[in-house]
Amino acid sequence: MVMLVRWAVTSTDMSLKVCSIDDLRPGEGLRIDSINPPIAVFLTEDGEVYAIDDTCTHQDASLSAGWVEDCRVECPLHESTFSLVTGQVDQPPAKKGVRTHQVHVSGGAVYVELSTAAPNLPPGVIVA
Amino acid sequence: MKVLAREGHLLIVGAGLAGYHTARGARLNGHTGPITILGAENRPAYDRPALSKAYLTGAVSESDLALDDPDQPLDVRWVAGLHVAGLSEHPLGVLTSDGEFWAADAVVIATGAAARTLPETNPGDAAGRPYVLRTMDDALALRDICLEGLEVAVLGGGFLALEAAATCTQRGASSVIVAAGEEFPGARRLSLPVGQALRAAHEAHGVGFASSARAVSVTSTAAGHTVHLGDGSAVAADIVICACGAAPATSWLAGSALRLSPTGAVLCDDFGATSIPGVWAAGDCSEWQSQSKGLRPVGHWQEAVEQAAVVAAGITGAEPQPMQEPYFWSDQYDLMLQGAGAIASADEVRIISGSVTTGDLLVSYLREGTEIGILGFNRLREVKRWRKQHQRKKAAVLAA
Ligand SMILES: Cc1cc2nc3c(=O)[nH]c(=O)nc-3n(C[C@H](O)[C@H](O)[C@H](O)COP(=O)(O)OP(=O)(O)OC[C@H]3O[C@@H](n4cnc5c(N)ncnc54)[C@H](O)[C@@H]3O)c2cc1C
Ligand code: FES
Repeated sequence: MVMLVRWAVTSTDMSLKVCSIDDLRPGEGLRIDSINPPIAVFLTEDGEVYAIDDTCTHQDASLSAGWVEDCRVECPLHESTFSLVTGQVDQPPAKKGVRTHQVHVSGGAVYVELSTAAPNLPPGVIVA
Repeated sequence: MKVLAREGHLLIVGAGLAGYHTARGARLNGHTGPITILGAENRPAYDRPALSKAYLTGAVSESDLALDDPDQPLDVRWVAGLHVAGLSEHPLGVLTSDGEFWAADAVVIATGAAARTLPETNPGDAAGRPYVLRTMDDALALRDICLEGLEVAVLGGGFLALEAAATCTQRGASSVIVAAGEEFPGARRLSLPVGQALRAAHEAHGVGFASSARAVSVTSTAAGHTVHLGDGSAVAADIVICACGAAPATSWLAGSALRLSPTGAVLCDDFGATSIPGVWAAGDCSEWQSQSKGLRPVGHWQEAVEQAAVVAAGITGAEPQPMQEPYFWSDQYDLMLQGAGAIASADEVRIISGSVTTGDLLVSYLREGTEIGILGFNRLREVKRWRKQHQRKKAAVLAA
């Protein structure tokens, strides 16, 4: 969620600069590999920025390569879609949702405050 | 088409992907009556694709592959380990191998397919039978052997064979030879560049390819196996994996009035209705009209899921979702291969970008100059976009 208001506090220890707003293309996701497990940052057609875990909870597929529509991303491999707002999954084959991360946009930069919840990584994928 | 009463008994034969999704769809459409799923395998219904991939390497476990969600289980009576032996039209229902009759208001046949094997000489000899990959038991048997230092021959040129070859190599087999039945695996079906890219990827991992003739039989002795190819050549191996396709698991329907195809598939219209009212079929055991015409593929996961949803709609009287463009994927080494569209009817193939040696090939399939399909190696974004855009176009055409 874009939270320009909250950003008044400037960067805290919890906030990471992950990319510039110019790195994002409307309707597409950007995978941030420097974070482990990687996250995906999305710019919707309405200009909102969201961040969720990048790895699908079904198998090891990068959600940043998925299809964005109505504030959801459909996994590029199968048909499960995840809410960019809540991370919830709508239908099989994935059973679990993804974590969402708080996003702040300031001065053209995208900052993310990572969720402290445990990630729902797919079986066979471990955090390196 | 006869719609099932809301409180009627829906009986599904086959506890696999299509069976699960039929039940799920019926519940989503508001069916309140009992749903029973009879399955021959003695374990909870599971998803097959990983059996030739992550399950075979040990990366995922049986519970990871369960179809039903333990947190949101379907309201369904699962009966495992029970073989269905016959179909009855009047009264409608099925007979199980324990002699029991299961009456139903609608029957869905979702028994999938069984692995094809080659003629064997001296089967059951000390070298063991060739392995197949269809069920979890099949995969478990292969997973339980230590492949280190062993020579493996994989028969078949489809994705199942190539995935098995990839996992055997990763698991330390001393050599893996694929008898693909063509020089470049997949070239006949998917075009030469795709076959070249697949062969190059496997050769880069040390996998070898036998001559382009098909494997015709296997001889086993205590010393090992010999695979005989159609051109007279032979491949010796400690382990043989037969991935030569699958045949519809419909032998239990012999003697019923149901119309079957020459290969034994249950013939259906494009709503999954069979020749017997109240009996439907979905997934690998069936052949829908558009599949008989060659317009849609058989044996793909996506096809089974969507057919199940269409059958669930037909049974409950809901509006079925139009089928999407055909779709399949395959996972080999670090390659994710995905194809979509009416690839079989293409008359021209163009490389859009990437190359056959760099693991990033993207090809377009055309018919009379119009793009009708796409296939990519590690091109998840492009393939998904193509599928969604075509789905939108289709929806727009249907709405017009
Ligand atoms: C190893 C493997 C890997 C695959 N990988 C991919 C992939 O990467 N991509 C892709 O697109 N597709 C893949 N597929 C194909 C996909 O899994 C199938 O298309 C799908 O499983 C078909 O579902 P189904 O429900 O029709 O059949 P199945 O999943 O086979 O289920 C049928 C069930 O019916 C049961 N049954 C059969 N006869 C009887 C009887 N008489 N009484 C009671 N029960 C019975 C069987 O035991 C079985 O459990 C793969 C298939 C296999 C085997
Ligand atoms: S990998 Fe995402 S739904 Fe299967």
